[in-house]
Amino acid sequence: MEIKKNAVAGTLESSDAQITVEPAQGKLELNIQSSVLNQYGRQIKKVILETLDNLDVKSGRFYVVDKGALDCTIKARVEGAVYRSADAAEKDIKWGALK
Amino acid sequence: MADYTVEKIYTSDKRTMKLVDELLNNEGIKRDKNLDYTCGVFNARDELVATGSCFKNTLRCLAVNHEYQGEGLMNLMISHLVDIEQERDNWHLFVYTKVSAFKFFKTLGFYEIARVQDQLVFLENRPSGFTDYLAQLDSDDHLKLKKSQKVASVVMNANPFSLGHQYLIEKAAAENDIVHLFMVSDDSSLIPFEDRKRLILAGTRHLNNVIYHESGSYIISSATFPSYFLKDSETVIKTQAQLDIDIFVEIANYLGITHRYVGSEPFSQVTSIYNDIMVRELQERGVTCMVVPRLKVDGAAVSASQIRLALKEDRLDDVQRWVPQTTLDFFKSAEGQRVIARLHRSTNVVHY
Repeated sequence: MEIKKNAVAGTLESSDAQITVEPAQGKLELNIQSSVLNQYGRQIKKVILETLDNLDVKSGRFYVVDKGALDCTIKARVEGAVYRSADAAEKDIKWGALK
Repeated sequence: MADYTVEKIYTSDKRTMKLVDELLNNEGIKRDKNLDYTCGVFNARDELVATGSCFKNTLRCLAVNHEYQGEGLMNLMISHLVDIEQERDNWHLFVYTKVSAFKFFKTLGFYEIARVQDQLVFLENRPSGFTDYLAQLDSDDHLKLKKSQKVASVVMNANPFSLGHQYLIEKAAAENDIVHLFMVSDDSSLIPFEDRKRLILAGTRHLNNVIYHESGSYIISSATFPSYFLKDSETVIKTQAQLDIDIFVEIANYLGITHRYVGSEPFSQVTSIYNDIMVRELQERGVTCMVVPRLKVDGAAVSASQIRLALKEDRLDDVQRWVPQTTLDFFKSAEGQRVIARLHRSTNVVHY
């Protein structure tokens, strides 16, 4: 999936994460800010990269502000931001194929 | 969070706006005169417990009633304001805030750009926003010239570009190897940035050592500088001057700028205080500030506000004495006429 335009998903409320994505030429940039970065930074990064890999996203600039979100929340927010930025309509998303 | 709702507050809703003002006052803030969106957080009893606003790409006048602090209401509100900004296609956001509130914004995805001790912190929501801005200033043609010795800078609004502006740039260009010209791109002036920029470019075309930059959101005009949490107008001027200088020095160090040229200020007291601080602060930080006496025509200093007034009053003969041919041609064109029409409609042309 290609990041075509800026998009955001999620909020800054507790137990959520706000993911902002921007197009970037040919590179994947990840910027994470989290209140639990020392404890879970690596796990957060892993979830995001896996989700992006599943969505076949190869480039884009991601700004993540994590407020202690669970893995499933982070995954859902990343998917939300990517679909929005790729202009994917609801019908184009293969819900069953999401890992 | 189910107990709280975030809602837009319309400025026409006088009753709620009064509550906003009260809430802001209680937290030591005045309502900024420049706001284009205001929201409120209401509790289950429909009482206003927090408020926040936007102006263009900045978030302003954010306050949570102290009895409700610590419940994450600021997070709720910032999420809402970020959504609103994104609907308006503003992605790169800025916040000016009290030093005491800095720690909250730091955990909400904002990063410090600069600060004025005990007064304010200037933040943005991109970790490398300012570094990226600096990097793009370093255009290819500049790299070639990097070895040159004397590098100067001029920052101008040019509202509109006059013989005075031209004189200042010509002087800087003659006395230095390179001049970095920063055009204040913040669109709060009566003359739109695109037009101001075009007139600057046209009026300096004969100079071959000028490099043009847009100031972006990092240097803004005093008309939109948020001052709602500073105690009096003199503190506002001083704080803005210090913040601008802080950012300018960062830019200067990056580009190797050693001199900054400014016009003397015989008219505006605000600019005069600003210039005094600038001369002193820049000197301390290794940049020489060259205050150039204003260009005079028929014994009077050329002033952009006087030109705007003359345009408003259709005194093109006066305008002609104060601006270069390129600017005059513009105001005679159809596009220029539209700008003049805008000046006609405006009540105060002097202070913008």
